[in-house]
Amino acid sequence: MGPGRLWSQLRNDRAGLAGLLIVSLFFLVAAGVWAGWLGQNWSAANGGRWESASAEYWFGTNILGQDIFQRSIYSIRTAFEIGLVVALASTVLGAILGALAGWYHGTWMDGAILWLKGVLDSIPFYLLVAAVAFALHGKPWAMHVAMIATFWTTTGRLVRAEVMKIKSREFIAASQAIGLPDLLILSRHVLPNTLHILLIQVSITFVAAIKTEVILSFLGLGIQDGVSWGLMLAESTQEVLAGHFNNFMAASLMLFVLLLGFNLFADALQDAFDPKQVTL
Amino acid sequence: MQYALHKILHGMLLILGVTLISFMLMVWFGPDQTYTLIGKNATVEQIEEVRSQLGYDQPFLKRYTDYLVELFTLDLGASHSSGEQVGSILKRTIPVSLALMIPGFVLGNLVGIALGLVAVQHRGQWIDRLITGFSVTGMSLSFLIIIIALQVLLSTPFGVNLFPVRGWQVTGLGSYLQFVTVPTISLILVTVGYNTRFYRAVFVEESGKDHIRTARAYGASPATILWKHILKNSMIPIITRFMFSIPLVVISGSLLIESYFGIPGVGKITFDAITNGDQPVLKAVVGLTAVSFVVIQVLTDMMYKLVDPRIA
Amino acid sequence: MATQKSKPVSIFLSLTLLLASTACDLQPEDGDSANAFTTYRHSMDGAPSSLDPVHASNIYSNFLVVNLFDTLYRYKYLARPYQLEPNLAEGLPLISADGLIYTIRIKPGVHFIDDPSFPDSKGRAVRAEDFVYSIKRQFDPEMRAQGSWLWQGRIVGLDEWKKNGADYGQEVSGLRALDDRTIQIQLIAPFPQLTHTLVQGHSAIVPREAVDHYGQEFAIHPVGSGPYRLQSFNNASAVLVRNTRFRQEPFSLAAEGFDPATQSGLGLEPLEGRMAPFTDRIEIEFIAEDAARWNAFVAGELDFVKVPVTQFDQVLANRNPPSLVPLMAEKYRLIANMESGFVHTDFNMDDERIGYHPDPDRDARNKALRCAIIKAFDWHKRNEIFYYGIGRVFAGIIPPVSPEFDTEQDQDLISRDLDGAQELLSSHGWNASNLPVLEYGFAAGVTDRQMFEQFRSFMTDIGYPAEKIRPLTFATYGDYARAYLNREVMLATIGWTMDYPDAENTIQLFFGPNAAPGTNSANYNNTEFNRLYRASSTMQPSPMRTAMYRNMNRILISDCATISGISRTLILVWNRDLAMLPDRSFVGGFFFRFVETNAPSAGDGTD
Repeated sequence: MGPGRLWSQLRNDRAGLAGLLIVSLFFLVAAGVWAGWLGQNWSAANGGRWESASAEYWFGTNILGQDIFQRSIYSIRTAFEIGLVVALASTVLGAILGALAGWYHGTWMDGAILWLKGVLDSIPFYLLVAAVAFALHGKPWAMHVAMIATFWTTTGRLVRAEVMKIKSREFIAASQAIGLPDLLILSRHVLPNTLHILLIQVSITFVAAIKTEVILSFLGLGIQDGVSWGLMLAESTQEVLAGHFNNFMAASLMLFVLLLGFNLFADALQDAFDPKQVTL
Repeated sequence: MQYALHKILHGMLLILGVTLISFMLMVWFGPDQTYTLIGKNATVEQIEEVRSQLGYDQPFLKRYTDYLVELFTLDLGASHSSGEQVGSILKRTIPVSLALMIPGFVLGNLVGIALGLVAVQHRGQWIDRLITGFSVTGMSLSFLIIIIALQVLLSTPFGVNLFPVRGWQVTGLGSYLQFVTVPTISLILVTVGYNTRFYRAVFVEESGKDHIRTARAYGASPATILWKHILKNSMIPIITRFMFSIPLVVISGSLLIESYFGIPGVGKITFDAITNGDQPVLKAVVGLTAVSFVVIQVLTDMMYKLVDPRIA
Repeated sequence: MATQKSKPVSIFLSLTLLLASTACDLQPEDGDSANAFTTYRHSMDGAPSSLDPVHASNIYSNFLVVNLFDTLYRYKYLARPYQLEPNLAEGLPLISADGLIYTIRIKPGVHFIDDPSFPDSKGRAVRAEDFVYSIKRQFDPEMRAQGSWLWQGRIVGLDEWKKNGADYGQEVSGLRALDDRTIQIQLIAPFPQLTHTLVQGHSAIVPREAVDHYGQEFAIHPVGSGPYRLQSFNNASAVLVRNTRFRQEPFSLAAEGFDPATQSGLGLEPLEGRMAPFTDRIEIEFIAEDAARWNAFVAGELDFVKVPVTQFDQVLANRNPPSLVPLMAEKYRLIANMESGFVHTDFNMDDERIGYHPDPDRDARNKALRCAIIKAFDWHKRNEIFYYGIGRVFAGIIPPVSPEFDTEQDQDLISRDLDGAQELLSSHGWNASNLPVLEYGFAAGVTDRQMFEQFRSFMTDIGYPAEKIRPLTFATYGDYARAYLNREVMLATIGWTMDYPDAENTIQLFFGPNAAPGTNSANYNNTEFNRLYRASSTMQPSPMRTAMYRNMNRILISDCATISGISRTLILVWNRDLAMLPDRSFVGGFFFRFVETNAPSAGDGTD
């Protein structure tokens, strides 16, 4: 399906459009933070402890007197950094391994990749992510690697099945017949036909990555420096029972809206590509 | 028969891989308990003593094969922290986790199936859209947010304050319901979005199949179609999802819920084992979960083969 | 098809059965009979991992161990400052004139609790030999013991005993049972704190039969002669029940150091002459989460709680001295308990970026940098934000709870001085571009991270670039400890809990030879300090020794090796109906035996 038809399909999906709009808005803010225009004061502790919302501190302050609004804005950048890196890397990894397995279906390579996937899928998810993050702790990318290592398997499975389907088509057999190398056929003719799967998987893993960051931060295995919604929520677990809700409200609302946007968008993509598709 | 052998061999290979990876992560590169077990003012020699007591100075292969032997003989050793036998720790904690997780797990799936059926019955109408929207909302909520919000709303003076904030002092049915309610509602909320979406998709696929259309054409009532055809024929994916979720939900789910609510189940002891580096406990939990997952997988495959020989 | 149909049904059935069976397992053991007992419901903010005296290295383990086992000595229940009192020992030790030989008699007729590990399951008499065995265990590598440092290099022949293979059949010449009731300890050099070490849970007395019988699981099957025995224990709670064979000793207000002026309101007077332990049953809940612990207390599920800092606003009418708001004062009593320890942030003096440097010029500049950081640290704000202003800030390493604390200390040492800090930096050639990156280590946790961020904001106030102050996080406390004990952490924040009320216990934290992996994690090494420490360590308490302690404190402060420190004030609150004086400091778990839940002065009991 070309981009033109995709767009015309999407245009009629109001929920999907709303999702796209939300994601774009958040991305703009993230870009503003990257550029140094927004959220730069996230670490200064100038206010009093747990101040309520005011003209100066829109969402109030936390225990140290830091501006919760600035922190939640800066966290958008953190979320996009984690989400983009993990979603892109794990989807690419899944696409490559899935394509290889599907193309060399039935060979030792397929067996090895399926085995690796089976192994990773058999270890409880949080335990595996926590263990990888733990083993690599202290390295700045520990959390990202942990998620990439576990998230690629779904993409891999979907791509593998699709590649097997494509491989049986006539034009592939023809390319093989004229002696084109496998890798060329794979990259020129097969993988482009799995793009719709990859696009959907990117948005789904983006959501999963941000959700997992929250859990890892709660477990103390999240990002090392900076601030994220996960860290803010972890902080709020100690505060809400004493009646301080600002951290919790700010982080959870932003997190929820961004994830909702992504989920709506992913849904719309799925409907556009294949209205009947069963996502497992 | 050959199929069964093939599957078993496949399962063995998986177990080998799972144990190898979990061993590398949790044990070889995992937490080091030496420094939580040494006394004040320890000397270098004393640190070495503790390391060797813990077996950390053994070579990789020896430790890994010891681990395999431990798993297969179920001789799991004793916790390095408390000295309690890992077997007896598991015996004490697994029932707690099951009692904690099963209601939410079962209800989460039942609600998902029910909503999925309703949605399919009214496919394309506003009820369907409402349910779909509801499930997307559910999928967009973080587990942690749900737990924090429910705890505040149900267990503190800021909300209705009807349930204990945390803990697990279960002495009978009454106290069981007191302690299990908030975790159960959390679990339902976390899973219901994904479940509804999954079951709806399964039912949509099923209802599009030829024999359903035929039944409809022959004038079978909608209820008959729903119950007799759609639900019955969707049993395989439903059971698969159910079976496969069990080990993962029990460990992954209870890890968060139990450490947040301070419930002495297998998730809490696993979390504690991670944070203080108690490797015998960690090895046993991860190893046993992964192995049981593989076994379930192999058994399910073989069961399908019995039911429907065409499945390869 | 048939299999498919029945499968979900059978899954459901088995799940339901499982659920039902687990619910049944958890029925109360004795619904009604519990009321016949008196029960005290205690709470702690952490759980002990082991109940074996060789592992009783934290306050949680220690609280239980001193109730399940006997120690030779304890601290008087009510006397403040804390004073030694014989426990299993008949009297204070007989010390030879040269201070090297201690002779201690234990009380007659004391028995271990009944346990299957004894012949006929009858607890036998406690003998002097059991004490010798219990201390030897601390030196047995097989035990992974944590208490040996208390006696290492102190007792004649003990270290050699370990070196020769830790054979219990072998005698240690400096640690002997002269007869069933007489212990003799011979020291290598005078060790004035020895008696204090015999209060520690680490010195508690265990019977060899039980250790051999239970092996590693002795840690959850304690067999001792303390006032209580263990009924149940897991990582959420423990239940202790009265040891009915515990020795009969009438309670004496005078002997426990009762002070009518401050303690007459506690309802302790009617206890005079009664036999401890007063309460039949002690239930201890281990609740790490502050809010949960507090809510359980307010809901009436607990008799005692350490008030979480976040509740101070609602609970305290006054901060100094702390008092309860009227509504709470009707139901509860309060005591402000100075913690027996302090928190300090050490510079790693072994790190040339901030500590000692071979080049004298850079060495001086590093010192100026450290001093500037200390001046920029805002103790007042740290205290206000994290301790609601009721922590006790002091300069150096002699904390307020120790008898040698200097109440007249110069307050300027702990006042923030931004100008002074900036002046120090610029006069030593430090500026934003050449200041080194500071790596601040902590084990990942919400509060520790907040403290780091606060530290960073303090430093940016003197112009330290924020991006040059970096967190060095560790997933677990053990990993953090490994890093700072391997001298890899530039700034390490460490809490120290004192073992006994003598500042020797905190001053040794900066004694050169104790450098990491010892307790001197700053790797501080000052010749004059070391000399004074050596000289004072064999001295009995005296004004001269106190002067030497304070001198060492001054040397350390002027070297700017540590940002120190604060001792928290713990607010302990308990049910008014109970006659008791709780303590989290040196008395610790020893107060359990004196808790009376059916206080005659109280109205209706708590049950």
